[in-house]
Amino acid sequence: MDWSSDVRAALRRNGAEPDEQVVLEIAQHAAAAFAAARAEGHPPEEAAEAIRQQIERWCRDVAKYPQRSTARPAVTPPPMGSSRVTGWTHDIRYALRVLRRQPAFTISAIVTTALGIAAVGTLFSVAYGVLMRPLPWPDADRIVRIWESREGATRALPRILTNRTYDAWRERPDTISSLAAWSTVHGVTLDEGARGRRVQAAPVTASLFTLLAVPPVLGSTFSDSAAGGVPPREVILSHGLWLERFAGAPDVVGRSIVIDGTAHRIAGVMPASFQFPNPEVRLWLPFRVPPVQAQNGTTRSLSMFSAIARLRPEASVEQAAAEATSRAAGAPRPGMVDIAVFGTKGNAIVHAMPYGTYITREVREPVIAFLGAVALLFLTAVASISSMQLARAAARRREMALRAALGAGTRRLARQLLVESALLGIAGGAAGLALTAALHVALPSLLPADFPRLKDIAVDWRVMLLSGGVAVVAGLAFGMLPALQVRRLTLVEALTEDSLAPVGAARRTSVGRTRALIMVGQVAIASVLLVGAALLGRTFAALWNSDRGYEPANVLTALVLMPDRLFSPETRSVFLRDLLEHVAAMPDVRSAGFTTVLPLMNVESLMSFKMPGRGPGGPVDAQAAVRTVSPGYFRALGIRTAAGRTFTDADTAASDPVVVVNRAFVRAYLDGDAVGQALPIGFEDPGPTRWTIAGVIEDVQPLTRGEPARPEIYVSYRQMSKGLLFDEPLLVMRTGHDPASYVARVRQAAGDLNASVYLDSIMTMDDRLMTGLARPRLYAVLLGGFAGLALLIAAVGMYGVLAYSVAQRRREIGVRAALGATPAAIVALVVRQGAVITLTGLAIGLTGAYIAVGWISSFLFGITARDPFVFALVPIVLLVVAILAAFVPARRAATIDPLKAMRGTG
Amino acid sequence: MRRRPAISKELRKGSADLLILSLIEERPRHGYEIARLIDERSHGTLTYHVASLYPTLYRLEDRGLIEGRWVERTGVRRRRHYRLLPKGRRVLAAERSVWHNFFAMLDRVAKIVPAR
Repeated sequence: MDWSSDVRAALRRNGAEPDEQVVLEIAQHAAAAFAAARAEGHPPEEAAEAIRQQIERWCRDVAKYPQRSTARPAVTPPPMGSSRVTGWTHDIRYALRVLRRQPAFTISAIVTTALGIAAVGTLFSVAYGVLMRPLPWPDADRIVRIWESREGATRALPRILTNRTYDAWRERPDTISSLAAWSTVHGVTLDEGARGRRVQAAPVTASLFTLLAVPPVLGSTFSDSAAGGVPPREVILSHGLWLERFAGAPDVVGRSIVIDGTAHRIAGVMPASFQFPNPEVRLWLPFRVPPVQAQNGTTRSLSMFSAIARLRPEASVEQAAAEATSRAAGAPRPGMVDIAVFGTKGNAIVHAMPYGTYITREVREPVIAFLGAVALLFLTAVASISSMQLARAAARRREMALRAALGAGTRRLARQLLVESALLGIAGGAAGLALTAALHVALPSLLPADFPRLKDIAVDWRVMLLSGGVAVVAGLAFGMLPALQVRRLTLVEALTEDSLAPVGAARRTSVGRTRALIMVGQVAIASVLLVGAALLGRTFAALWNSDRGYEPANVLTALVLMPDRLFSPETRSVFLRDLLEHVAAMPDVRSAGFTTVLPLMNVESLMSFKMPGRGPGGPVDAQAAVRTVSPGYFRALGIRTAAGRTFTDADTAASDPVVVVNRAFVRAYLDGDAVGQALPIGFEDPGPTRWTIAGVIEDVQPLTRGEPARPEIYVSYRQMSKGLLFDEPLLVMRTGHDPASYVARVRQAAGDLNASVYLDSIMTMDDRLMTGLARPRLYAVLLGGFAGLALLIAAVGMYGVLAYSVAQRRREIGVRAALGATPAAIVALVVRQGAVITLTGLAIGLTGAYIAVGWISSFLFGITARDPFVFALVPIVLLVVAILAAFVPARRAATIDPLKAMRGTG
Repeated sequence: MRRRPAISKELRKGSADLLILSLIEERPRHGYEIARLIDERSHGTLTYHVASLYPTLYRLEDRGLIEGRWVERTGVRRRRHYRLLPKGRRVLAAERSVWHNFFAMLDRVAKIVPAR
């Protein structure tokens, strides 16, 4: 019985505006006295009358009672009739007290929100920094990347421009205001002797700096001069190198510095913010685009490089590409060289793409997909908090009903709940932002080094604004459902003892229904993310385990730098032969060799020739990549022989000239048995012009992903009468155990043989592979993490929903048990409820995933987006997890004592 | 209703703090329980009226000797429990020694031995 209205009325009769605390406490006392009187055997009417008289007596001397609340209770319901402003402050204070009283819920809600906000904020900062932030140059949106292909080109081409197009376009273009080019970024040796060290250098045209509109902080950029010619020995330093090497000396311009053994005049120093084309470049060397036709008109050379252009204000990207294409059509043709590069002599087609889009083209789709994944994860996290709030609201129905009875409007109560949720959102958001800032510090080490625009990822006001906004919206979302619930509050039901426990409560009450629906959504989201993660995981596994045609395990590789100024082709060959002998003699070294081009390296050495007599059209223009290797190379890398033999030490300049080709070459240009056929090619002038195929090797995958192998020709360095022309061959050695442990010994051996040889980028083949696979691995790990979190949230949610439902159904389950239901039947009852939710969620999630996987199909490898294994595995995993989560509440349900449950006590 | 021997209003008032503080020393109790315990343990000789009990509790709470807290347990009526604060514990010890001295004095002067 509730005596508060009697107490309040009695106090009012005696002229006091009652303090609610006092009213409630006296009412509590009255209720206890009433219960005692009943226990002594007084009939209810009599007892009630006695209590009423007592209340009258207690309330006679109102002056004794405080007129204000003296109490500092954990929960003081906010006063009902206060002004707008004080109402809000009361609501906030009240909400804080409520939350403090339930630390477990409060902390888990804040932590969940914080993690969600941090994930959203971090991905947004990546998406903004990488995809949207303007490049750091004036009018950077007018800078376009230019490259060309050929009509009828047979293979994917590198994004290069040729001197043929460059020269044709450079004279008085209509659509662009300037054109600039740079050649491959490469390592150079700075200074000499003990001070010498390797830094990355980019050869660039003088126009690059004016095109980007970045002036040097000291000195000037390169002087522009007519195309071609030998560039002056000048260098422009990066800000960092200037500080390191010259301690920021202001008089550095005009001084000289030795680069690859040659003195270069320092022309200028660029500002610290200037990075081009990548952040590793420490200095810029002058680059001149050579003319297709030399002055004497005889020699024709094709030069390839990267290029950018600045659009005129009125021109579009498409217009620029069209103009360049038409200009290139009229340019002099380089002849067979085109075949070597493009595999065709067709007309040039020039492509243009905004530079910002170009450098991020490979990560755009993944970043957007991950933003979507993180949004899903956040949604499921918010849903789980919302679900918890619903359960809490249900448990507080009596409080709400009481307060409604005491005069609070439902709107006011709903507002109270929203305030509570908004506070959770704000606290979670603040923690999330702190976490975002911390993650941002760690981000460069988490992302692959070749991830574009790493330095442009920042936690700035946009990230703050978005995170803050999301946190508040999330906070309101937590509160929305419970608040709606309050509006449906019916007093009689809420105050009746058993209102929360109808038979089949899980779906009969609106709270139970809503929570089950939320759970279905969470299972659906978890299954979508699991499908994505499983696909990416299998992609990474497929990439890692794919048959590349070689064995990357236990292989050490090193770049052997032998510059022209210190080595002749002949001394190079001699040195390499000696080095290989020393290395092969080291303990547990299985084999050793060298090559000019290693798989996974993004460099190519191409040749073209007329391949006679295949088909009716006479000779075909053949194109192949050339690698000069030592005989041990194939064994060292584990390349398999498909037919014939590979090289031996017996193949020398004196013996018959032989080559080894790969299967792709045979497929493209040969019929029948390849071994024994002769190719009309030459590697030296003068030298043999017919080389016989001694053997065929299995295809070797050039890069990490599933590109088709291209035709390749291998030749042994021992058959080169002049020696090795290439100045940066790669040592490859296969060892019996950890290849990394050989680094010092190999350096020692090389240094002992020739002190001027420099070994660079010493890496195991596995490391090279892992570097190449860093992005697929990151994607798999990231989405795997998201999916794991979503699964965890779903499992905890499932536990919560079922435990709540079991608590609600105590009486029903008690009745069932009393009527003879076995524990197993009761466990099945609860588990079935979880299974229904899971299966519904799975059906929705898998359908959604089946439709949505198209999004990530472009970064899958080795499997289709609708991989049956994945679509079979995910439901099994989710069902197992759901049943495990359901089992604890099910066990609890099975141990319910029917007597106690029906009495409604413990 | 039982007849109770008269205990003067002043004496009741003077001993109220001691009684309440010592009752909640054992464990937190709600108002009705305190009143009932005083009634029971004094065999009905001492009864605290709601109108004096709760004002006393509020006064003690204001002085920072005790703390009241609404406690809610499912299935049980919401009740305000009072517990002893450290300051209350010190005041209780002081009160006890005052009363102890008082009884010792009574014994010496009027030959009254407190019931054990």
